[in-house]
Amino acid sequence: MTQEVKTRPLNRLKSMYALRAEVDKMYQAGGEAEAEGKPVAWVMLEGWANAILNAMDIITVFPENYSSLCAAQKLAGPFLERAETEGYPTHLCGYARACVGYSARMVELNGQIPPEAPAGGMPRPMLLVASGEVCDARFKWFQSLGRYFDAPVWTLESPSPNARESLTPGTYERNTQFLVNEIKQFVIFLEKLTGKKMEWDKLLFTGDGTNKINRLRWDINQLRKARPSPMHTRDFWSVMSAALYRGAADPTVIVEGNQKMYDEVKYRVDHGIAGINRPEKYRMSFEGLAPWHSLSFLDSLADRGWNFVCESAYSPGRPFKVDLSSVTDPVERYVRKRYRSLASVIEQEFEPEEASEVKEEIMREGSSNRLRLRHIREYQCDGVVLHVLLSCRSASSGLTLFADQLLDMYKVPSLIIEGDIIDTSLFNPVEAMKKAEAFEDTMDHYKKVRKDLGFEW
Amino acid sequence: MSAATKQGFARVQELYQDRTQRIKELKEEGKKIIGYLCIYPVTEIMTALDLVPYRVLGDMREPITKADAYLPSVVCPFLRSCLDLGLKGKYEFLDGVVTSHICDVGSSLSGIWRYTVKTPFHYNIDTPHTTHDTSLNQIKGVLKAYQTAMENFAGKKITNAKLKKAIILHNEQRALARELYELKKQDPPLVSGAETLKIIKVIQSIPVVEGNALLREVISEARTRKNKPAKKNARLLVWGSILDDTPLIEMIESLDANVVIDDTCVGSRPFFDDVKITPDLIDGLAQHYLVDIKCPRTFRARDFYAVKKNYLEDLKTRFSYLSDYAREWKANGVILQSVRYCDTHGYEVPQVRDYLKEIDLPGIYLEHDYTVGGLAPLKTRVQGFLEIIE
Ligand code: SF4
Ligand code: SF4
Repeated sequence: MTQEVKTRPLNRLKSMYALRAEVDKMYQAGGEAEAEGKPVAWVMLEGWANAILNAMDIITVFPENYSSLCAAQKLAGPFLERAETEGYPTHLCGYARACVGYSARMVELNGQIPPEAPAGGMPRPMLLVASGEVCDARFKWFQSLGRYFDAPVWTLESPSPNARESLTPGTYERNTQFLVNEIKQFVIFLEKLTGKKMEWDKLLFTGDGTNKINRLRWDINQLRKARPSPMHTRDFWSVMSAALYRGAADPTVIVEGNQKMYDEVKYRVDHGIAGINRPEKYRMSFEGLAPWHSLSFLDSLADRGWNFVCESAYSPGRPFKVDLSSVTDPVERYVRKRYRSLASVIEQEFEPEEASEVKEEIMREGSSNRLRLRHIREYQCDGVVLHVLLSCRSASSGLTLFADQLLDMYKVPSLIIEGDIIDTSLFNPVEAMKKAEAFEDTMDHYKKVRKDLGFEW
Repeated sequence: MSAATKQGFARVQELYQDRTQRIKELKEEGKKIIGYLCIYPVTEIMTALDLVPYRVLGDMREPITKADAYLPSVVCPFLRSCLDLGLKGKYEFLDGVVTSHICDVGSSLSGIWRYTVKTPFHYNIDTPHTTHDTSLNQIKGVLKAYQTAMENFAGKKITNAKLKKAIILHNEQRALARELYELKKQDPPLVSGAETLKIIKVIQSIPVVEGNALLREVISEARTRKNKPAKKNARLLVWGSILDDTPLIEMIESLDANVVIDDTCVGSRPFFDDVKITPDLIDGLAQHYLVDIKCPRTFRARDFYAVKKNYLEDLKTRFSYLSDYAREWKANGVILQSVRYCDTHGYEVPQVRDYLKEIDLPGIYLEHDYTVGGLAPLKTRVQGFLEIIE
């Protein structure tokens, strides 16, 4: 009889550790910047500001990421409680409330970093850069921090057209100009704030670095389509911070880190090595934001053969080429290299015939199931975990409809788990595990249904 | 024309009880009815095209049973209720729905509504988040695109004269609404808070011309009627997210308080500033809908380029109108209220409270779940609050 060797359920990528360490460096750099009297900005995650701030020698830290770090170390609780005593409703974004609690503590300590803050803490900001992207918290939260800091807030506007309006002629050009104009005003403000002139070459260099990182992340994600899938969602989450919240880190270091990761993942694909140390029984997608306080829940699922092969949040966009030969304005070049029209996204994602069907569907229905659900088909998922968050509507509001459409279109079932990004008290791992076990029967059932209907997986 | 026999307050009550009554008559007459969510869709453009704007509201008296399948319970129950009514066929008379980026979920409701309720025409106005000059410029383009979409839907073009006429008509409604609120400056007010809400709700459910006529009737009746509200100790300002029915106000007014002024959107918010008639009419509309309407969904600041923030100055810039309201309507207390899961108002609450402290006006915050039953526990808190009001 062979003796079963019990390894850890997850087969973590070695290249992940170095990239993850870059995030710690980002916080360290924040702390050092403060000691050296360098300007520090607190920034919401969005597409544009980081490179601009770095090009102006402003050190950037990301409270959104910092709150998740507090949660992962189970240290967010006291900050959340503090936000409540400050009068913030408890349904507001957990990241925001942890940040409010942190800010209130900082004021209490005359601007010092609270000693209980993990990873060296975030230094006091001289600027808050809010964002019009994704959710209301991204600008309302920073606006409300005026209670604690005399730092100015700049909300970097961003257009948010719905799918159908995006396809209306003129929308893309208007929105591109809006972004260009908005970024120019932001730069004027920063020049006034710092007394420095913007170095455009530096911006384009950092912007190019971001594009390179994005390409590698995209390529890595493509490799994850393999069977078995070589990289688990937990590794994706561990390294996404280095790309998205890299602060003032040299982009070339992150590029190198991602290149190493690409090589390692490729090796795994070539040798049939999976991201979990168990047979890949179920290929899963994680929809929504991570339960940062309870990530080990995914390890327990991996132990049962659940391999999370893709996820909806923080995914890199498909790289694209754009002809900028006639564009000389540096801001416009910066924007056009990264801002795409929905029409061109569809044209790249689908073959011509299907692309026009998708566009027609959007004009008729307002959205396209094929566009929204394509990763489930491409990664051949057997099931989906939907993480409905009490404190984030933006990541949760579409999930129930998503489940409905997914089952209807691809016969892939969804498991709804309620919880939170930050607040441990809102997640019941025992109950969630019971639901997950029962869900395996549902996935087995739909595997047969898909087979009978002639689906590819 | 309407076969309405009732007038003034009686007509308001009739339409409040069935606010679809008139709109269904108009539908039968062949009019096209456009539902709009929140106060950001530009109704003047609808009126200019002879389309009838009809405000989409929820129903806090009706349990949400169908929307659960499409919007999870962590979403603002007002939006869930609107969708629920749509799914139950209660908005089937609509020919179109116009939404805007009032808040993140409000904006995505457009797609969900389109997919599930299947109203024939939809448009979502991508209203920017700030009052930056670039945003003002942007919204002009956004509104022009919206105008084109509405023209295509209506199958006709808007002439400058028609749009100007529509703006004047809507401004007339704004002026009449302000006149109505003037009557609430008296002590006791000539119109109660609950009556005010009903009137505003009703005029958002009928064509603007008819709304204006009804407002005139109500104003003249309020001046002369005998059964006006009683004098109470507290004269309150109610601030916050949407309140589209009367139970909360009725609960407050069943105590020793009159609601004399509000800053809510089935209330004063859409009416206290006129749309300016500008050479390019879209400019005036853009200024009104992005800058002048004061709702927490928009990031406003006195000087975006200031390199240091002065919190007190910021509060004054954003909320001094509340102090004006309190002074002019002699309010001696403020009820801040919000439906649960409303983020834009939620972040604002501590700051409004800071401002009220600064101007020495007592305030209390009430969070509710958009059900009548959920209001009961709040009564004791309001009672306690009223006791501290002089
Ligand atoms: S998307 Fe959700 S979790 Fe992220 S900042 Fe916004 S509200 Fe918070
Ligand atoms: S009440 Fe708040 S969350 Fe609900 S629709 Fe209005 S702004 Fe959005």
